[in-house]
Amino acid sequence: MHRITRYLRLYFLIEAQYIKARMQYRADFIISSIGMFFSSLATLGIFWILFGSITELAGWNFMEMVFIYAFYMIAISPMQIIFDHFWQLRYHVTEGTFLKYYFRPLNMMFYYISEMFDLKGLTQLAAGIVLLVYASIQLNIQWTIARVMLLLASLFSASLVQIAVVVSASCAAFWVMNSWPVLSLAWKLREFSPYPMSIFDGAFRVLFTYVIPIGFVAFYPSQIFLRPEQVSPLAYASPLVGIGLFALAYRIWTLGVNSYTGTGS
Amino acid sequence: MSLIQIKDLNKHFNVLNRREGLGGAFLDLFSGDYNIVRAVDGVSFDIEAGEMIGYIGPNGAGKSTTIKMMTGILKPSSGAILVNGFPPHANRIRQAQIMGVVFGQRTQLWWDLPVIESFKILKDIYRVDQKTFDDHMGLFNELVGLKQLYKQQVRTLSLGQRMLCDITASFLHNPQVVFLDEPTIGLDISVKAKMRTVIKELNQTRNTTIILTTHDLGDVEALCRRIIIIDKGKVLFDGDVKKVNALFGAYRTLKVQVNDFDESTLKALAGQMIQHFGTNNGISISEVEKHWTDITIDQARTPLADVLSFVMTNFPVHDVRIVEISMENVVQKVYDGALS
Ligand SMILES: Nc1ncnc2c1ncn2[C@@H]1O[C@H](COP(=O)(O)OP(=O)(O)O)[C@@H](O)[C@H]1O
Ligand SMILES: [Mg+2]
Repeated sequence: MHRITRYLRLYFLIEAQYIKARMQYRADFIISSIGMFFSSLATLGIFWILFGSITELAGWNFMEMVFIYAFYMIAISPMQIIFDHFWQLRYHVTEGTFLKYYFRPLNMMFYYISEMFDLKGLTQLAAGIVLLVYASIQLNIQWTIARVMLLLASLFSASLVQIAVVVSASCAAFWVMNSWPVLSLAWKLREFSPYPMSIFDGAFRVLFTYVIPIGFVAFYPSQIFLRPEQVSPLAYASPLVGIGLFALAYRIWTLGVNSYTGTGS
Repeated sequence: MSLIQIKDLNKHFNVLNRREGLGGAFLDLFSGDYNIVRAVDGVSFDIEAGEMIGYIGPNGAGKSTTIKMMTGILKPSSGAILVNGFPPHANRIRQAQIMGVVFGQRTQLWWDLPVIESFKILKDIYRVDQKTFDDHMGLFNELVGLKQLYKQQVRTLSLGQRMLCDITASFLHNPQVVFLDEPTIGLDISVKAKMRTVIKELNQTRNTTIILTTHDLGDVEALCRRIIIIDKGKVLFDGDVKKVNALFGAYRTLKVQVNDFDESTLKALAGQMIQHFGTNNGISISEVEKHWTDITIDQARTPLADVLSFVMTNFPVHDVRIVEISMENVVQKVYDGALS
């Protein structure tokens, strides 16, 4: 417990400084936030066009899709905001700048992620929340305290799935020279997560459900709130999937860190 | 008990002979085509608290690899290593608390933050109490004028300023041992001199053990009493720096660029030197860089000025430089038995 408060304190100390430094480049912050806002709405535009010609996608209507997408936007935000530094891991590993993360008396993953805080991700998070509220009013979803708690828990574990996928993919850099293909695959897969898994044919559905389970980033957990009466049992497995995957990703990270030998000289 | 104890330490890297392309990368996964690099090969030494050691050798000698094992980044392939009684690799977090590390030009400060904020974050990370913090910041300010840099972002510092900040920062938490890996690389003479004073002061006022790697003999001459020379992963010499100085202090390398240089030029140079200065002239000649001929001279036997004027009058010399003896030359001379 003492350790957790110490780490939290350090995190806020570092991030507060970091945000202060960033705020000196206000134009940069505003422009990248606007960019983030529109790029996250782009997928919504695709839905809009799609639903101009059809009324349902694999049995899900437009507003339900909006809800799933809003869930997705919130669920990927912690990855974007807190774990953003992982996209750069491969540079640190090949350039040898990764060495410094060993030298502090801190958990290495903590130290590593604390060095980056992506402010523009907050725009995405805010947009996601607004959209989720809007969609759930339109869909007439009844919120009770218990269901709100369930929503938070589902969002938390969905975030862990997203984080685990990116962390594991980035760790490829510890073993292969050019890990970009692995990382870009993880990036591309992410774009499939806000769609109903039933639109994918057999092999992909199995892949996205059991192998690289991005279905758990938005689709399966959203079902609990959209169609509680016909939820697949998979939806309730999502906390397990989230925690399990994150534990696995952390293990991969630890193995990578221990086997890294630097670049020489 | 010695602060650092190293016995028969080895680090061997298996370097894969890689294949081309994605298919090659896949095949590599199952490949057994390795080269073994013996980066550290049977090294033993003990270091006492408070010592300042010059750990020197040419590029690729194994200096950084040894430091990586002492700091717990790398696990030894075999052999024993204890720092303050513990094997570093198995106790990374605890060991980090008692060590300071500066690795060459790679800063460990927060790139986008003002200098002072980096120090404040370090204060929190290492749980340095306010009084110690204030004392140390005062000392650092005296040594390097740190206060003037407080508000500046780390990214805007010059290389010299940044290295000074990094070095003082590594002493902030009063570590028992500080590892400085090539702290003077890439710095110009005046900054180098400043750096040396700072390191010396910190070692004396705090009585901190310092292990300094460098391939600049001048650093060692200025700072260390004990020197460990390593090459190809093996210790060549471990002892008093005076002994080394007595031998190499007198050496200078004269670098000359001769017009229309070809293979015969080296031979001609060597031959004429012997004719003119005798066989026991303390002069050796080699081509180290392209177009530059290195003439290393033991000034105890032949004055540099004589060699210079001889070369100038007898060869079409285009350009000349005089440098301290290079690490490669020192190592060659140690192999040739200079220190035994
Ligand atoms: N991670 C690594 N993988 C393979 N070889 C390495 C690695 N690190 C160092 N080496 C090799 O080990 C030798 C010693 O390197 P190093 O300790 O960095 O030398 P120095 O610091 O004395 O210049 C060199 O030949 C170097 O190429
Ligand atoms: Mg080195």
